[in-house]
Amino acid sequence: MKRSMMSKIMVGLFCALLSLPAIAQEDELKDLPGYVDFGDLSSMYGEPKIIINLGGTMLNFVGMMSSSESPETADLISKLKGVRVMIYAIEEKAEAAKSQFSEVKSKLKSSGWEPIVQVNEDDEQVLIYIKMAGDNMEGMTVMVVDEEEAVFVNVIGQLNPAELGKVMEALDMDMDLDI
Amino acid sequence: MNKYDENWEQQINALLDGELGKADADDLKTAATDDRDLARAIVEAYQLQQVMDDIPVERAPASLGKRLRAIPREQRRTAGPWLFQPRWVTALAVVPLAIIALNLMQPDTPSEGEIAKARQELAIAFAYLDKAGAMTGRGIESTVGDTMSDAITGSVNRAIKLQNETYKEKEV
Repeated sequence: MKRSMMSKIMVGLFCALLSLPAIAQEDELKDLPGYVDFGDLSSMYGEPKIIINLGGTMLNFVGMMSSSESPETADLISKLKGVRVMIYAIEEKAEAAKSQFSEVKSKLKSSGWEPIVQVNEDDEQVLIYIKMAGDNMEGMTVMVVDEEEAVFVNVIGQLNPAELGKVMEALDMDMDLDI
Repeated sequence: MNKYDENWEQQINALLDGELGKADADDLKTAATDDRDLARAIVEAYQLQQVMDDIPVERAPASLGKRLRAIPREQRRTAGPWLFQPRWVTALAVVPLAIIALNLMQPDTPSEGEIAKARQELAIAFAYLDKAGAMTGRGIESTVGDTMSDAITGSVNRAIKLQNETYKEKEV
């Protein structure tokens, strides 16, 4: 009886230890004030074609790697706490994505996010929101839908859009997103 | 025995055990001659001792003694090697758990490949931000014209940049 109880405690302890990293990873971003829940469009468009979830720890490592090549990039990355991207291929069926935009927009407004830029055209819609806490930026949310894809980007932390170009160069990435 | 102090009682016990000195024994006998209660107490104690001595002591059968003496040896045999004894098994089970716990407490250091992948993902995220910026610029441009467009997008960027600079100053 005593030994059986000991085994149960051991197994319980082992399971608890194994589940710790997964819980910690998910909570790392969810608890931050700049985090936005974009909902799920997979029932309409299938799994997202791109999902990016970079937490503060990984961003620190990327920043450290970049510090010798470009202190500016390292500085910009050091202010980020998380970067999330979800991109769905929508194949000219933009209605569900636009409806999701409206839902997220209401959530953002009710939780203190401020609209910065909004473009509403027939073939494309762009929404940019930021969240401030006093003078500090807590996050930026960008949602884009055009004929091909619905893009949700959530940057948690401080970001200066004017420095994006320089950072792109420093990261040595040549991205052609068919703009 | 109520009348007598503990000293008499101790002396009676010592007398029966043969531990009382000759002088003390003579004193006790003299006292008992004059004191009937003391004399009765000495007689009763003597009789009690006789009764106790007469009780036969049963010896355990030799086979039972043999079996009892064999128990520790048999226990050692059935326990197996020391490594499989319960306390050592528990101690050994704790070792991997402690290693896992220590490992989890360490900051998770990603490999170079993982960092390179994260770098690429970050660039993708920034490229989409850049794309959104270009699209908003184009949207504004088509509505209000090129000059106004630059003014509007520029002012947005400046506003956000200003917030960041204020933050940077605060940090310093």
